Amino acid sequence: MDLIFDSILSAIHLILSLDAEMMNIVAVSLKVSAASTLFAGVLGVPLGFFVAFESFPGKRLVITLLNTLLALPTVVIGLFVYAFISRRGIFGALDLLYTQKAMVIGQVILVLPIVATFTIAAISRIDERYRRTAMTLGANRLQTAGVIFREARFGIVAALVASFGRVIAEVGISMMLGGNARGFTRTMTTAMALEYDKGQFVLAVALGIILLSLSFGLNLLFNFFQGRYDR
Amino acid sequence: MSLYRLSQLTKTYRNRTVLDIPFLEIEQGRIYALMGPNGAGKTTLLNILGFLGAPSSGSVHFRSHPVQFTEPTLQALRKEVVMVDQHPILFTTTVFKNLEFGLKIRQIIKSDRERMITESLEMVGMQDFAQAPAHRLSGGETQRVALARAFSVAPKVLLCDEPTANVDEENQAIIIRILRHINEQKKITILFTTHDRPQAATLAQQTVFLNRGKITTNAPESNFYPSPIGAKLLPNL
Repeated sequence: MDLIFDSILSAIHLILSLDAEMMNIVAVSLKVSAASTLFAGVLGVPLGFFVAFESFPGKRLVITLLNTLLALPTVVIGLFVYAFISRRGIFGALDLLYTQKAMVIGQVILVLPIVATFTIAAISRIDERYRRTAMTLGANRLQTAGVIFREARFGIVAALVASFGRVIAEVGISMMLGGNARGFTRTMTTAMALEYDKGQFVLAVALGIILLSLSFGLNLLFNFFQGRYDR
Repeated sequence: MSLYRLSQLTKTYRNRTVLDIPFLEIEQGRIYALMGPNGAGKTTLLNILGFLGAPSSGSVHFRSHPVQFTEPTLQALRKEVVMVDQHPILFTTTVFKNLEFGLKIRQIIKSDRERMITESLEMVGMQDFAQAPAHRLSGGETQRVALARAFSVAPKVLLCDEPTANVDEENQAIIIRILRHINEQKKITILFTTHDRPQAATLAQQTVFLNRGKITTNAPESNFYPSPIGAKLLPNL
């Protein structure tokens, strides 16, 4: 028990001292995760919206495929992307391996199905009467889509929050494609894994506390905005 | 003047004919009640008149022009006909922005929009709720705002699906008063469905009875009550 309490106390001291290495790791994590969520949002929200809003042949198949991709293990994505960007891969010349860009590519693949399926769920839950009301008031397809999108906004924000939570907590892709290079591609999760291997728990626990606090803060923010709407 | 003329109109769902109307004419500026039991086809007819659905066969003329049931044509026509659902839904924003939606679509300038919204809300007695969140209103208030949203865009026709079915007596009286007022003041043709015979008698000038998709009676409201002979028109519902 002493090990846990000592580690937590030391970790809190480390956090309060704003240790430079720790802050750098947090910054890399936030930067990579934010970029991944942004790109996944740019691709996944319109994809999810299109799938939910439009009728087309094979729609069920697309939804099933996206649902299947939710279970994609990070190591499989890491391996898959590695095959493309390693020196012998078809994009080897771009020198992407062990860079933050490589991590973003892998993480976008990881969370794109999350953003798309959550968006599909959010749009599908919107009452059909919103579409009819917009149409009867003279809205064209784009304006009707805008109404549906607006009504589903909290569900779509939830998709992005969930995606950010997923990427900031993943370790497989960051390790395989980032390489855990100190000060460059070392994220909170890869640093925690490394510190554990070294038997050094203080930084690992400190990063764990920061990770959970970030996740808590994000959900708090989301609930705050949702609360403003409910009031 | 004829506003709608329906000829040989049918609507079929999975080989079941839910609407079969050889002929129906709706004149401009009048109030019509559409009555009939559940499943008679009232809402289906309302959807076709509101250009939200296409008939399976037959023709619809609107303002003497044949209606092509293609999306671009229907979209243009929907700017002249607004439908208010039985359970209307308001966008999750303020009452003001709900009314502003249709006006913005019609590219009405901001100062005119504000004036039209204020006038419409005053007409339904909801002027104090302009900045209220629309999704927090009661059933009666929602119905009144939905009506204001519909007539604020100055449509030629207002279609109401059971406008008083889910509100208390006080709001029923208010809604009836509003409908009569907008018909008289704005010359908007109104067609509403109802199960309430006295309400149809109070508000409508013409009543159309539908049963199993067919029109059984289509007569001026005055035919129903004033004489024992006229009363024979009243079908058994």
